[in-house]
Amino acid sequence: MSNAVLELKNISKTFPGVKALSKINFDLLPGEVHCICGENGAGKSTLIKIISGAYQPDAGGRIVFEGNPCLLNPRTAMELGIQTIYQEHNIFPHLSVTENIFVGLEITNKGGVINRGEMRAKTEEALEFLHCKFSPDAIVGELSSGQKKLVEIAKAMVFRRKVIILDEPTASLSMSEIDMLLDVVKKVAQAGIAIIYISHHLDEVFRIADRITVLRDGHKILTCDAKDIDEPTLVRNMVGRDVSAFYSREYFTPGEVVLEAKNLTGNGVKNISFKVRRGEIVGFAGMVGSGRSELMALLMGAAEKHGGELFVMGEKVDFKNPSDAIRHKMCFITEDRQYTGLFLNHSIARNTIIANLVNRKTLFWHPNEDIKVGNEYIKKLNIKANDSSVLVGNLSGGNQQKVVLAKWFNTNGEIFIFDEPTRGIDVGAKQEIYKIMVDLLKQNKAIIMVSSDMPEVISMSDRVIVMRNGVISGELSRHDISEESILQYSIGGSKI
Amino acid sequence: MIKTNTKSSLLGKNSDIRTVVVVTIGFVVAIVVAQLVMGLVSEGQLSYPSFISSVNILNILMQTAGVGIMAMGMCTIMLSGDIDLSVGMLVSLVAIFIAKGIRDWGIPLPTALILAILIAVGLESLMGLVISRFKVESFIITLGGSIAFRGIALLMCNSQEVTLTGQLNFFKTNLIEGATNTQGMSLTLPIYVIIFFAIFVIFWAVLKYTRFGRRVYAVGSNAQAAYLSGVNVKNVRLLSYALNGLCVGIAGILLLSRVNVGIISIGQNLEIDVIASVVIGGVALSGGKGNAVGVFIGVLLMGAISNAMNILRVQSEWQYFVKGVIIIVAVTGGAISEIVNARRALRLQEMEARALNGQKELQDTTTSQ
Repeated sequence: MSNAVLELKNISKTFPGVKALSKINFDLLPGEVHCICGENGAGKSTLIKIISGAYQPDAGGRIVFEGNPCLLNPRTAMELGIQTIYQEHNIFPHLSVTENIFVGLEITNKGGVINRGEMRAKTEEALEFLHCKFSPDAIVGELSSGQKKLVEIAKAMVFRRKVIILDEPTASLSMSEIDMLLDVVKKVAQAGIAIIYISHHLDEVFRIADRITVLRDGHKILTCDAKDIDEPTLVRNMVGRDVSAFYSREYFTPGEVVLEAKNLTGNGVKNISFKVRRGEIVGFAGMVGSGRSELMALLMGAAEKHGGELFVMGEKVDFKNPSDAIRHKMCFITEDRQYTGLFLNHSIARNTIIANLVNRKTLFWHPNEDIKVGNEYIKKLNIKANDSSVLVGNLSGGNQQKVVLAKWFNTNGEIFIFDEPTRGIDVGAKQEIYKIMVDLLKQNKAIIMVSSDMPEVISMSDRVIVMRNGVISGELSRHDISEESILQYSIGGSKI
Repeated sequence: MIKTNTKSSLLGKNSDIRTVVVVTIGFVVAIVVAQLVMGLVSEGQLSYPSFISSVNILNILMQTAGVGIMAMGMCTIMLSGDIDLSVGMLVSLVAIFIAKGIRDWGIPLPTALILAILIAVGLESLMGLVISRFKVESFIITLGGSIAFRGIALLMCNSQEVTLTGQLNFFKTNLIEGATNTQGMSLTLPIYVIIFFAIFVIFWAVLKYTRFGRRVYAVGSNAQAAYLSGVNVKNVRLLSYALNGLCVGIAGILLLSRVNVGIISIGQNLEIDVIASVVIGGVALSGGKGNAVGVFIGVLLMGAISNAMNILRVQSEWQYFVKGVIIIVAVTGGAISEIVNARRALRLQEMEARALNGQKELQDTTTSQ
């Protein structure tokens, strides 16, 4: 396709331990809205980061812009006319619309004096074209979320960008704002600008897409005209994986209920009710931002509860902070081990004993005791370190995750919350962690697992609870768990 | 010298202390050599270097006791990731309060001392409360505290010095009265040096052996992770400030007993010396790293540097310059060794990752064939 504004040929991207993109071919035509679909971790973000120049692809790939091969970095991408509009607002709230659009790129007269009149006129023109109802002098911080997105689109118009990338633009918008935004996007495309549109919401995709590309596990599955595909076919293409990606585990008969939430509300989630029994893994699935981690923080007392009740081992509890939860035998393996799980400049021993300080009655003991405890867990969990005085920061991802587990096992917990238990760790360590989780079930413990890794959710869970927009959108028993059914509830499309 | 006697078993695997010890030994050797050479040049014969004479070593201990006690409190605060810029002015406030109290307000001496310590603990706790509950930068709060304490102190004494007549001489009691060295010079080991040692031992034990100590380190290393691991971060930070108040109160009493004058300059710029000693002792400003033994050595090293320069008759202007350079070099050296370590760890991880990717690629190609 010679008239494509942007072509990617044979693009791959490798990160330590994972191949995020594998031999992607992609082209973008002027004036089209090109939607990229895929599950969490399919490679969408990596792809747009390569197009916007934030990442460099592996050797062997080529990027062609308007027929000329080029190397992209954030600056050249901007100069060529590629603008990325991220999910979070990239604005200066205290400046006016005009100032936001021209920040760093001010139009100046010969003497270096800023030409406000011309900047304002250009802004006004763009806003008019987009049918915006606010003035170029409005302070951006006072605009609604949808209007802020429009400011960023107006910026692309003012500078006559050729490619606009919209990453989940409707994430925080109301229904009417979404309608307005989609109209604007169509209008911009009609002006000849190529648009890459990324969204989890398939209804939006079908409303505006000219073409659709599906990614899965870093591979391109298909690119086709939107009118040639229907929603069930699209979903089927987004899911479906190699059997080797799944882990086969033992199942046990669940025992008594150890945790029960009734209409739990707070920290961005509403009316959450569910039960967890001994000997089972309850998987929490859903798109990133659906409120799963927020719910876990609420369960642990790390966020304020606004309503509802929580029962742990039959006792009604009201955790003020995580130490209350730990006293009630709860454990929280957080999503981001480096920022919220570990003390990187401390030893394995120090990391191992810290959570159990809550239960420890003695006031005074020798650090060698800590070392001994740490060494036990090194052996038990097969952590690759000479002894437990090694600093955690010097361990690999998988071994760091095992140290987090050691910290919680040392509290003698009964209820384990695993938030993304295997994020960023290699295949071998993943299998080990799964085995450890099943061992916990054998010891009659209960597990809640939040995961965005589809094979993980499917192969590890006894039941799956799917969340969307802060509420539970569905619950699947073991025999109903499938990629299609989970995706169905997490994106809320029509029945397949 | 005491610091060179520190046993290696005490140091454990802590590389920071090792750096300080090496620097300290190097420094002592350098000064001794300098003295020997100068003696040789001026008198034509080798004489015993006065820097390592027992009289001078006791001198160094006497000069560093006040700063040393404050450094123990500061060490706790800095390990938990905070800082306290107000300790200098708080010492002045405490000293002026006691001097004014026993001389002009008729407060009995023991009551005045207890009240002074309570005031120090109270004011520090107040700052700790604000810092921990409202999550404000400790730098700013204690800077404000410092300025306010200066005001209170000056108000109490009407900006005048309050001279005592040796009411606090008890703290200067010589424990080895009558002892002399080989040259017949009399030795003094005042009680306040012993108090300094006692406080050092207490803080060393608290930080190393207790639940609270372990929590201090955790908060300083990663407050968010500490919170999620059940550490009451707010209370740990508050308690660190309260303990620091205790140290500052005691240091104020001892410093006053040494000079016998309640005056604002008694604590002026003392926070700089205290923080410098703690940093030289291997405590990271970012928190979570370092220990009391290192700080103890750091305090003695700083004291020895000043003392040596006085013995060598270095001009006071040069003394500031040399001290500053030593701090910069010592801390930069620590940072450089840290960067080297981090690089090494990263390289190790990358190698692992590459090996793994290689394996996977191999698998991919074999399965596709």
